[in-house]
Amino acid sequence: MSGTGEFAEFLPAYLAEVDELLASAQKDLLAVEEAVRKGLAQPRAVRELFRALHTLKGLSAMVDVEPVVSLAHWMEASLRLADQAGGRLPESSVEPLVEGLRAIEVRVRQLGAGKVASPAPANLLERLEALGPQVLDAAPKRARPVMLDAEAAFASRLAPSEREQLEGGLSGGQRALRLDFVPSSERAAKGLNINTVRERVAKLADIVKVLPLSGAAAGGASLAFALLLITRAEDAALLEAVGGPPAVVRSLEAPASAEPAAVDVAPGSAVLPASAVPPGAAGLEEELDEPEVRRGGGLLRVEVSRLDEAMEWLAALVVNRSRLTRAVAALTQAGAPTRELTAILQENGRQLRDLRSAILRLRMVRVGDVLERLPLLVRGLRRATGKAVRLELDVGDAELDKAVADRLLPALVHLVRNAVDHALELPEERQAAGKAPEGLVRLTCHARASGQLELTLRDDGRGVDAKAVAKAANAPVPDSVDALLDLLCRPGLSTRQEATRTSGRGMGMDIVRRIVVEQLGGELRMETRKGAGTTFTLSVPLTVTLMDAIVFECAGRRYAVAVGTVEELIDVGSVVRPAGADGLGLVERRGAAVPLVSLARLLDGAASADGDAGRGTKALIVRQRGEPVAFAVDRLLGQQEIVLRPLEDPLVRVPGVAGATDLGDGQPTLVLDLGALGAARAGRRKRAPSRSGEWVS
Amino acid sequence: MPEVLVVDDSKVMREMVVACLRPYPDSRFTQASSGLEAIEQLSLKPYDLLVLDLNMPDIGGIEVVEFVRGQDHLRNLPIIIVTTRGDEASRERALQAGANRFMTKPFTPDSIQGAARALLEKTPAEAPRG
Repeated sequence: MSGTGEFAEFLPAYLAEVDELLASAQKDLLAVEEAVRKGLAQPRAVRELFRALHTLKGLSAMVDVEPVVSLAHWMEASLRLADQAGGRLPESSVEPLVEGLRAIEVRVRQLGAGKVASPAPANLLERLEALGPQVLDAAPKRARPVMLDAEAAFASRLAPSEREQLEGGLSGGQRALRLDFVPSSERAAKGLNINTVRERVAKLADIVKVLPLSGAAAGGASLAFALLLITRAEDAALLEAVGGPPAVVRSLEAPASAEPAAVDVAPGSAVLPASAVPPGAAGLEEELDEPEVRRGGGLLRVEVSRLDEAMEWLAALVVNRSRLTRAVAALTQAGAPTRELTAILQENGRQLRDLRSAILRLRMVRVGDVLERLPLLVRGLRRATGKAVRLELDVGDAELDKAVADRLLPALVHLVRNAVDHALELPEERQAAGKAPEGLVRLTCHARASGQLELTLRDDGRGVDAKAVAKAANAPVPDSVDALLDLLCRPGLSTRQEATRTSGRGMGMDIVRRIVVEQLGGELRMETRKGAGTTFTLSVPLTVTLMDAIVFECAGRRYAVAVGTVEELIDVGSVVRPAGADGLGLVERRGAAVPLVSLARLLDGAASADGDAGRGTKALIVRQRGEPVAFAVDRLLGQQEIVLRPLEDPLVRVPGVAGATDLGDGQPTLVLDLGALGAARAGRRKRAPSRSGEWVS
Repeated sequence: MPEVLVVDDSKVMREMVVACLRPYPDSRFTQASSGLEAIEQLSLKPYDLLVLDLNMPDIGGIEVVEFVRGQDHLRNLPIIIVTTRGDEASRERALQAGANRFMTKPFTPDSIQGAARALLEKTPAEAPRG
């Protein structure tokens, strides 16, 4: 199958990196489209797009995903030409490129789901292949006058598009400068290397190009880097960014009297295919310019499972700390001098809390990054519906737990889709109603002090027609906006006779509510005014705890328990001693007798003291202080990932109950901590070692 | 103990290259995510082998090769260039600039190991440590 071969083990890392490449490619393509519509060149975005596809192609070849290799190949080929043509693309090329990215994304999703990537559609490949000649036709055939000091700017080592960028900066009133940085072991030891220098300088200037220099050009140093910049920053600030002397700043602008720099750009040379670029001329591979934020610069990508592992270890620490606390309490009671020990313990408690929040912070992703696919979605909707739509995202620096973000995104996608598809009117209708022809969908968000993130999605469309909704739901017209929202969130409700092309029969408002309210424990509110628009407000917690759980039934109720806490599942066939009046029995496991606890009895008190209902047919074995204990349950229902919602209120916090979850049926299900239940049963003084319970709060 | 510098802006790609070469006895790996970082690394520490991607965000592989070959102490540093289908023109230029070997994705662990072995096991006179 696709995605195997020598490098099959790299598939998860491949998928993660490809995801990132696709996200940045989509962003760049949007920028390109915007520029194309205005008839402008967009050299930076074109080059980044080219690079992303080139990397994607190479990676996909390594893990043997041929359909992606072919798609990326033809997209890359036309972008290579466009890059050499100064970043210009014909308008007709945008649509095939968008489709190409989508086709790649579909195949990557297939791989992620463990399926085989389907072959690349032949007609799409043909259209992508045909882009090359179109790009060449669209390229301008003229060279621009140059105002750079050729020598200072190493003009022969610059690509036409880089020179254009420097000149553009100059004519735009900025300074074009060359800033030299001299690396050394001492500087590297202080964290001053070419990567950090670039990051620092990038905050002050647009870096057009960095060139390594040696010998005379490096001013006597064995190695120097010349950073060619466009900036408004002061010399002093720039010098400081590169660690001071021996750095120098010099202008790249040719003196007024000087002849235009002798950089010969033969007309049309910029559009020659790569094979015709003479050696020494800057071809594409050497002239890749600096993206504002270098991908991966200063960032580390970590698998979520590793963070979970860190969390697990921290949990163990927390449990250990409670043991220590008890031991110290016992010492104190025995009259030992424990004042200092107690102080250390308190400090230790604070440190553990800090460590916990630090680890939780690692799981936070920027809301802006999560939403970066929405512009592309709206773009597609614009085409599909013929409506003019502007999407405004104002999400600032807000952050959100990755697990919350992953669940929330589908709900937001649905709301945006609904807004464009149902709420916004066609341009003519809008004009007739005295509105701007272009509809507005605006998404804002901010973090609230309560540990909640509030997202607001507002449209200026027609508003929700309560009567139409009531009719579709076959219910009386609701008397309040809350009642209207309830009606909208009824499963299966649609005010349209047929599924529209874009909203399809996909997720309805009921699923949006289920995600926000039931899965994430948040809130969904709505405001709507006829003719003026609708606003949805979603409040969701910034973090949730995810776990793999075993779901089972006991005495007619469903419960969940963390998989990690269960050592073994056994059949209660070989009962050594059936549970007596105390609910305790013995069961045989591999020749040894294990205490058997009737969970039904434990949870329900005396209600099921006897009778088959409480005895169970299966048992979960958990360890309790190193000793196995079997909990009899009626029926195992399966294993699934759940979102644990801790019982926040200390009054309802019960040893043995880690929290609640929604298994998808809308009913709250208790998540048990059997180890702690065992402790409660044994009547020992041990406080609930409820891992999740103790620190999730 | 050969010191190998692996340069690619794709982390997965770097890790694949390291995984391929790791079986080579006692080799030690340094990773760089850009051409500039590679040049800086080369100026700070001696290396025995450079594995270089062509297509990188700041300066590309060819420019790195040209720079390296312009340095006296790096003139004989063995260089393996990792390319992708479509890079044929650049490959030609990299060869002129002084690259020693090419690996085109997809390559196998055996093929890149073979190339590394061939370059590392030349007699010392042929391949002075760069």
